[in-house]
Amino acid sequence: MKTIYTKLLLLLLLLPFTALAQSTLKGNISDATSGQPIPGANVIVEGTSNGTSTDMDGNFTLANVKKGDRIVVSFIGYSNQVVEYTGQATLNVALQEDATQLQEVVVIGYGTTTKKDATGAVDVVSSKDFNKGAIANADQLLVGRSPGVRITNAGGQPDAAPNIRIRGGSSLSAQNNPLIVIDGVPLDYVSPAGSGNPLAMLNPNDIESFTILKDASATAIYGSRASNGVILVTTKKGTSGKPQFSYSANVAFGKVGKTVDMMDSKTFTKFIQEYHPDLTNMLGVDDPSNALSDDPTTPEIEGRILSNTNWQDAIMRTSIMTDNNFSASGNLFKVLPIRASVGYLKNEGLVKTSDYERYTGSLKLTPSFLDDHLKVELNAKGTQSKKNAIDEASAIAGSLNMDPTKPIYNADGSYAQVTSGTNGKLDGQYNPVNLLNERRRPEEIKKLLANLQLDYKMHFLPELRAIVNMGVEASRSNITETFSDKAFSAYQLDNTDNTYKYHPGKNYGETQTITNRTFDTYLAYTKNLTGFVTRVDAQAGHTYQDFKNDGYKDIYRYNSVTGEREVAVNEQNPNNRYYTKAAIESYFGRANVDLADKYLFTFTLRADGSSLFRKDNRWGYFPGAAFAWRINDENFLKNSQVVNNLKLRLGYGQTGQQDITSIAGYYPTSALYEPGDPNGQYLPGYNTYSPKAFNDQLEWEVTTTYNVGLDFAFFKNDILSGSVDVYKRDTDNLLVKASVPSGQYLTNEITQNIGSLTNKGVEIDLRLKPITTDNFSWEVLGNLAYNIGEITDLGNRSSFDPAEIKLPTSTGITFIRQAVGQQPYAAYVFEQLYDSSGRPIVGAYKDRNGDGVITNDDKYYTAMRPNWTFGFSTNFTYKNIDLSASFHGQLDGQVYNAAKLQGGWTDRPVPNNSNSLNNVLDFYNGAADPRFTNIQGNIPLSDYYIENGAFLRCDNITLGYRFNDVIKNGYGSIRLYAAVNNAFLVTNYSGQDPENFNTLDSNFYPRPRQWSFGLNFDF
Amino acid sequence: MKKISTKIILGLCTMALLFSSCSSELDTKPKVELSLENLLANDPNAVQGLLSKMYGTLALSGSKGPGSSDISGADPGETAYLRSIINLQEFTADGMKNRWGDDGLDQLTTTSRWDPNNKFFRYLYDRVYYIVPQTTNIIIALGKVDVENKEQIISELRFIRALAYYTMIDAFGKGVLVTNENYGTSTPLPEASRQELFDYVESELLDIEGKIGLTNEYGRANKSVVRMLLAKLYINAEVYTGTQRYSDALTNINKVIGEGGYTLATSFVSQFSGDNYTSTEIIFPLIADAVTSQSYGNTTYIVNGSCSTETMNINDFGTSDAWTGHRATKAWYGLFGDLETSTDDRAKLFWTEGHNYEMENYKTWTDGYPSVKFRNTNFSSPSISTPFSSTDFPMYRLADAYLMYAECVLRGATGGTSQQALDYVNAIRNRSHAATITSGELTLDFLLDERARELNFEGHRRTDLIRFGKFTGGSYLWPWKGNAVNGAAIPDTYKVFPIPSTALQSNPNLSQNSGY
Repeated sequence: MKTIYTKLLLLLLLLPFTALAQSTLKGNISDATSGQPIPGANVIVEGTSNGTSTDMDGNFTLANVKKGDRIVVSFIGYSNQVVEYTGQATLNVALQEDATQLQEVVVIGYGTTTKKDATGAVDVVSSKDFNKGAIANADQLLVGRSPGVRITNAGGQPDAAPNIRIRGGSSLSAQNNPLIVIDGVPLDYVSPAGSGNPLAMLNPNDIESFTILKDASATAIYGSRASNGVILVTTKKGTSGKPQFSYSANVAFGKVGKTVDMMDSKTFTKFIQEYHPDLTNMLGVDDPSNALSDDPTTPEIEGRILSNTNWQDAIMRTSIMTDNNFSASGNLFKVLPIRASVGYLKNEGLVKTSDYERYTGSLKLTPSFLDDHLKVELNAKGTQSKKNAIDEASAIAGSLNMDPTKPIYNADGSYAQVTSGTNGKLDGQYNPVNLLNERRRPEEIKKLLANLQLDYKMHFLPELRAIVNMGVEASRSNITETFSDKAFSAYQLDNTDNTYKYHPGKNYGETQTITNRTFDTYLAYTKNLTGFVTRVDAQAGHTYQDFKNDGYKDIYRYNSVTGEREVAVNEQNPNNRYYTKAAIESYFGRANVDLADKYLFTFTLRADGSSLFRKDNRWGYFPGAAFAWRINDENFLKNSQVVNNLKLRLGYGQTGQQDITSIAGYYPTSALYEPGDPNGQYLPGYNTYSPKAFNDQLEWEVTTTYNVGLDFAFFKNDILSGSVDVYKRDTDNLLVKASVPSGQYLTNEITQNIGSLTNKGVEIDLRLKPITTDNFSWEVLGNLAYNIGEITDLGNRSSFDPAEIKLPTSTGITFIRQAVGQQPYAAYVFEQLYDSSGRPIVGAYKDRNGDGVITNDDKYYTAMRPNWTFGFSTNFTYKNIDLSASFHGQLDGQVYNAAKLQGGWTDRPVPNNSNSLNNVLDFYNGAADPRFTNIQGNIPLSDYYIENGAFLRCDNITLGYRFNDVIKNGYGSIRLYAAVNNAFLVTNYSGQDPENFNTLDSNFYPRPRQWSFGLNFDF
Repeated sequence: MKKISTKIILGLCTMALLFSSCSSELDTKPKVELSLENLLANDPNAVQGLLSKMYGTLALSGSKGPGSSDISGADPGETAYLRSIINLQEFTADGMKNRWGDDGLDQLTTTSRWDPNNKFFRYLYDRVYYIVPQTTNIIIALGKVDVENKEQIISELRFIRALAYYTMIDAFGKGVLVTNENYGTSTPLPEASRQELFDYVESELLDIEGKIGLTNEYGRANKSVVRMLLAKLYINAEVYTGTQRYSDALTNINKVIGEGGYTLATSFVSQFSGDNYTSTEIIFPLIADAVTSQSYGNTTYIVNGSCSTETMNINDFGTSDAWTGHRATKAWYGLFGDLETSTDDRAKLFWTEGHNYEMENYKTWTDGYPSVKFRNTNFSSPSISTPFSSTDFPMYRLADAYLMYAECVLRGATGGTSQQALDYVNAIRNRSHAATITSGELTLDFLLDERARELNFEGHRRTDLIRFGKFTGGSYLWPWKGNAVNGAAIPDTYKVFPIPSTALQSNPNLSQNSGY
């Protein structure tokens, strides 16, 4: 076996040379509208079996062509084109998309269908419609491209978590991210330790398309994990024609857009003189050349040396991202279609030392055996990534807090820092440059995602196929945190000589192994019939998936006497091991029946068992049904020149939710005892054990979805096409962590099934092609979605407070409340009163219930998350030039401007337990109102800090030029392009960036504006 | 063709095999957390470990370090029992104020605008109803297994549960009664009145008193601890039930003093220092340790909360982390006369440098004197500064028993003498070098003030003020009572706290205390 692999590998390497030896008709097939190459298009000599298909970049090579041959170029979803061969050396064909054919294959889970036959709310975003430019992670390809799919990354981190919501979210406390299935393997929701983004392991260049299943008639086949929709990722596969190679390279330079409006040194000095004249001697550093101290009556600051440090600039840099990819695809021995790719990404984040590096490799084999009766698909994707994880919150908070009159470094080159007392105790906010430079925390992940699918078409009954799919998602993470020589974070008091000392060395370690397995077996029956029933397509099968996460941690602490760092020995769990395992097993069936070739029915049933529930509550049953009517196939429209496509879809389905691991752990129904940590002990000499709270009554949360949709395409060349969907989604038996009758369970709040939630919405997807000529084309894509959620029941409760979102005040204040009758995650706040000039009256709130006193009853609810979201993009091509731009945004939604809360009060600089001043927002230019002297009492709960979060972001503008025939006539093409990602942001939000998933803007890692240059070379 | 058929048959057989259920795989088992059987098999001291956890819940917010909590809340560190006691017993009363606000703390510090949504009421309520089911759960579990010293351990667990219920009686005046018998029902239990809870706690403690040892390991309950709680229950019985039980209180106090073997420590401040685990006076401590038992809700809350680098050298009090929060008011330090000239050791435990005598604004750190009664420095040996405190909290101590003796006698209890009462009070005063008083000076009003001088910041004050009829109404005003700088009358409603709205919502049988 091993030798075969070696041979294969050798062959793969030799491919380039054999390819160059060919000589015959070559050319390129592209999309007439976008100018993008079409991979996998068929090019054949009419009436013969002599044919080939195009590679990833639309190139083909066809041998044995004679003059007079008619060359037919075809691709599903496009109109065929026939060109006569007259001896031309190259043949470049631009295909027109043909929506009336609607033959585009749509992956729908455990099978495929075509756009024409699809009955559910299914949206396909293929590579030609992806976002372009500097794209590090796969989720960025999809931002704004599909209606109702809201992707909000956590910020500008190189591997920022994507936070994907399809049609709002179906749950309150349980999982709300959609299920992501890559080439048939459903991914774990848990990212490996050290990765913020589950999609970061995918090379975006390997992705062919995303298929988004939105309504339950489509998702029910994924039953237990489909309540929040499903995103199916399909990667590129090998072509059946000649070997093709592609190389792409990209370099992007990123800059911070808007920074937080903190004071500069001069303004801050003026501010301290004006508001805190007794503190002027804390500005800057002592001037050793004299013994003066400041005289507050003079405008100068005597006896102090003032620096002018912009601390935000000090921690940020021009980020550089480079991305190199090479792929080869072809048909080995004419029976083994293969695609292999390697990629290397280096992404230096905006914040210094926040570096990320990723190697990816993928291999896809799609051979067929036994006269095409046995189709085999092997996918293997390997990733190795390494990130230097920074102490993000401290470094960014530090850059906002630090006094701008302080230097970064002392004259001797050491880090500047205020100290107190005689023993050198560090004081106040730590120098954020030190925090970044003096700690290294490489987080390394090796990950493999692989599956083997066998699809056997029965010899005795070719309509019947048996499919086996085995997948594995495995990763190993290694994290080591070490301090270098001058790390302030490791500067500890040695009580034996009462001095502070540095403690370089290891501070933390973690090793984690995740092994998830998938195993699907199913039978599929497909038959086209004549008569009233025109088609039957059915699947039935079994699937099993498990998730195992096993890890160890090295935990250290500082000796309270010597200050030395030592291993924190945990006798009850010496390796600080953690171990979790979950499993899901399902039986599923689906039948598609077409009547008279225009009435399409789909029925789905799935039974799911989850390890998270007790045996007697373990199984849930999730049905789905859909009906579609191809109206344009009715006689009265059949010959219409205007209506090319008109399909009405009705869908109904139920899906289940069981993923409560983030709130209830992996064993939520068992009585278990957990050992305490080394610092959580009590009686001397005994190890403490805590009985863990559990709920043996837990059962499935169920979401019922109703969907009505209309697909349409009008006028010649489908100038206007698109779809409209209206839906309602009711979730019952909500899995919520909420209060229980006091004393009757092991703690005050447990995860339980209570309450209901409903989401309603409309989605519009439009594609407009105003100009389509040979040389010039213009296409506009747009989508708009409205979703409104409402909590309709919470058992007896009127509300509960989700603990995960807290305002950054001393002990944290919950401002979000889940309440009956309100949208999920609404803020519960006081209504600020303003004076006649429009300025806030500090501490004055509207007495909403009119009882004459301001109590908690005067708070009101205000929705934070957006209802209206949109995206649009446009593509122009003129000959070899292409220009595209894409945008997304929201029309409403609100953001809590916590940066204003944290830095917008005049007593803020006053040292609390320290000798250091804190910087503030610029009160002189209106960034904050100096009426706020403090933020005590109810001030943080005022709606003064809640701002309109509507925005429009230009995700990218890309200008490209294609050089054809680079190597020789008809062979080799290079596309050069320049792009700006995150080009601009239009918003009224006064803070840094309103695009914020948790609607709380605090210590935000800014998203860079990136200028990139790249090339694609295909040969 | 034959070959192909073989393959097909083989294929179908494989399929059939694969279809066979994997259902047993759905019974996943943990490897770090343990079932009770595994736990008892793994650790010979597992039962003491469970008991340690239950005692620990009076001082720790959770067992996974200071950032963890057994109950959910906006901030884990805020949820500890002792922190709630300081917040609700001290800040609401005359002697101590806090300046942070913290979304509800201002309402406690100003004894005004109390409402059922204030998270600080919920923290205490939910902590009680964490302790009650947890102890009950272990009591029931232990009943089914064979372990050594079972009766002693179960008695201690019952004591911890009784203490939690006592907190309900005192703070909320009602609740639900979860017992071994009804634990495990999911339908909401009926409301239990103050009298019902009182009767239950009394009967439990009387039973435990007969079963628990006279002595025990440090930090654990013994006969005297149980009797102290009984005495607390009886001395406040008139408030709780309308019936005086001062003689019963005195009976128990006599037993504590006579049988417990405790003696007054020579130095007052040694009882509140880092090495107070050597105390001869402390009857029931809540343990703290800077390394192994860290919490933002044990004495760390008292020590760090009372320290600030703004006006003091925090190393002098053994902490490396000061929070600039709590200060005493003149309602406490005013009781010593002129602090400069007072001979009373207890008068020296206020930090006056840089601070104002008057508390014009409770939010201003320098208004009012911080109390440095509690500190993290050792009394009799050198010590180090740590961010967490190692000072144990004296929940019950002999001086309290002496003052309770005197009070019971003054209130007409049988079983004691006026002379003994005077001797006990003077023993306390002499220990702190305060002037001896005469029998004529020993009045109830004097006792209330003496309790402040001796016991403030030890979690008794609000209860004391209510028992002496001074908490509500306008007869006694203190700074910021009723949210007025010089104090204002507050309604009798405030004798109990509002039942938290989360509790009302999750159990419809519960009703709100009148006035809220």
